[in-house]
Amino acid sequence: MVRRPFLAMAFALWSLAAIHPAWADITVLVPSGSEGDGLRAAAADYAKLKGTKVEIVQAPYNNVFEQAANAGQTKSGAFDIVLMDDPWIPFFAENGHLEDLTPYFQKAGKDGPDDDFLSKSLALCRNPYNSGPYICLPYVGNAQMFFYDAAKFKEAGIEEPKTWDDVLKAAKALTDKGGGRYFGYVFRGGQGNPVVADFMPLFWSYGANLFNEDRSKVTIDTPEGAQAMKMFMALRDVSPKGVESYNANEVGQALAAGTAASSINWPNWVATFEDPTQSRMVGKISYTGIPAGTNPGSSEIGHWTMGIMAAAKNKQEAFDFMQWATSPEQIKVSAERGNPPVRTSTFTDPDLTKQEKFRHYPVLMKAIQASTPRPRHPKWPEIENAFGIELSKAVAGAETPEEALKNAQAAVEKIAGTK
Amino acid sequence: MTRALPTSTLSHRARGSGLEQWVERHLRILMLAPAMLVLLALTIFPSAYMFVAAVTRISPNPDLPWEFAGLQNFTRLLTDQQFHIGLRNTLVFTVSSVTIEFLLGLGLALLLDRYVRKLNVLKTLLMLPMMLPPVAVAITWKLIYEPQFGILNELMFNLGLPPQAWAGDARLAMLSLIIADVWQWTPFMFLLMLAGLASLPIEPYEAAAIDGASAWRQFRDLTLPFLKPVIAIALLLRIMDALRLFDLVFILTGGGPADRTKTLSLYIYQVAYRFADQSYAAAISLFVLFATVAFSTWFIKRMRLAE
Repeated sequence: MVRRPFLAMAFALWSLAAIHPAWADITVLVPSGSEGDGLRAAAADYAKLKGTKVEIVQAPYNNVFEQAANAGQTKSGAFDIVLMDDPWIPFFAENGHLEDLTPYFQKAGKDGPDDDFLSKSLALCRNPYNSGPYICLPYVGNAQMFFYDAAKFKEAGIEEPKTWDDVLKAAKALTDKGGGRYFGYVFRGGQGNPVVADFMPLFWSYGANLFNEDRSKVTIDTPEGAQAMKMFMALRDVSPKGVESYNANEVGQALAAGTAASSINWPNWVATFEDPTQSRMVGKISYTGIPAGTNPGSSEIGHWTMGIMAAAKNKQEAFDFMQWATSPEQIKVSAERGNPPVRTSTFTDPDLTKQEKFRHYPVLMKAIQASTPRPRHPKWPEIENAFGIELSKAVAGAETPEEALKNAQAAVEKIAGTK
Repeated sequence: MTRALPTSTLSHRARGSGLEQWVERHLRILMLAPAMLVLLALTIFPSAYMFVAAVTRISPNPDLPWEFAGLQNFTRLLTDQQFHIGLRNTLVFTVSSVTIEFLLGLGLALLLDRYVRKLNVLKTLLMLPMMLPPVAVAITWKLIYEPQFGILNELMFNLGLPPQAWAGDARLAMLSLIIADVWQWTPFMFLLMLAGLASLPIEPYEAAAIDGASAWRQFRDLTLPFLKPVIAIALLLRIMDALRLFDLVFILTGGGPADRTKTLSLYIYQVAYRFADQSYAAAISLFVLFATVAFSTWFIKRMRLAE
């Protein structure tokens, strides 16, 4: 008597599992957080409007890369679209995981994306950088800005920090006065991606770079690199104890709680700082471009871009969704949902710019246009890890800054195969 | 009283349909099949795949063919500094945490067994950390260690002591990991030791007491030898588990600062998923597997557990 229902139930469960992919027309892999939440909301709108069912698979930052790489390597077709952090693009593109969008644009009677997109945003989506065919479309316009408590900086004698020397001067004065409870500067010192992301703008501001122009030579251990490292160490000394393990959350919390006066940060934190339920600093934080060193300041660009997987099952539908989601109207909707835009028309839209919560838009637009991408290398995750270990050692005092630069040079040369 | 069934129904039941008869005949195999398939899919296939992957060069590009690499991935272990750091950290963590957990677990078990035998609530409370998922433990300790807002530094500050960076300090990061692990897994040792103590015979202790043996002498010459099998099993299980440490370190320190807490499991994860080098990750995994099996075999022989 029990056997038949048991077997029937097993068969029903198996059937449900087998038909699961048929529930959605296209499947999109997105990160947790505001970027993924924004695209999830857009997908729901798209389903209502066009009747296309878009399934959103949301995963933590690192898992998005892992799942997409796995899907690409196995040609599983598990995802039609991946929302990628821009430094991942060379890995996916050069390993054949992404679809060339040229034929889809041609079919739509276009040469490529329209020129309302910011040029720096579009440059990221071509492989090779700024010259090859389009393999993605920009969706979230992240680029670092310099966040600071203007009143505290004024107290310390700096109206608006234009150079890293200004930042150090104010930060030192504020930390000295803070009695171990308040700090003039805070940064992401955690090993790997965090410390690299917060060091790169300094590195560029002093004229240093990881590679030469044609990527044939590693250029970390240089006089420019040493100057940047010297400033980085000076800033570490005025930052909170334990900054060696800080990631975005710790830095964000320190600014929102009003226990640190300044940091390099990403624009999606603006919403948190301006939210009275999460921040003590509503209306008190000012935004400006990355300060200059010996060279003009340059932000690290960190856009979220949408690409179609080469093994996707519904490529045309995926392209149609991407086109719709990155249209001027939808980028504006996305901006209202808290994601920085990638279009000039959105950045300059009076509906948005007149609102207090978008007061950082002029600074952000400039920051994107003055930004630098992380080196376009298919082995970037490994390079970033190696560089991040040496920077972490320098921040933790386990190595001298000189040793860290020398070891980072050797480690990156080994990975990149330039020596 | 039973009612006789019509002849036609009886003959139908006896014959059944062809499918039903086949199912009846193969029911044992059919019932075992799902478990066997799961075993095949989750254990046998991945193990075989790992062996193949370790001697192959697998490109992240699916259009490039796999190439036979021989022992290249294994010889790379000899010169890979990151692997050496991971191995050293794993050994330091395993030896330190398991030793402390064992001593604390044994001490607590002796104390509770002898003096507070009836305090079941206390025993339950002591076991609570072990029941928590490792991820929850890691997040809890991350909050405790948080340098600016964490409770530990708040206490230090109020006591007039200098606050520390704990998991963020290169000198204290490994210690911070060990403390969190000891907090979670001492109850496991305690539980096994307590079970061992509860099963000890009373007679030898009575005889020893009559002969005037001190408490220390009784512990050294009776308790420890009687507990030896339990101690050996507890140590073996904890060592094997500590060698695989991943979740705690992934959440608490991410292997930093300055690589001071990078364990082999974390490194394998990075190589496989961040650097997309599955072949080398398979080679490191096989090394860990063989090292663990070799150690376990030696340990079991040494402790004469088979006897």
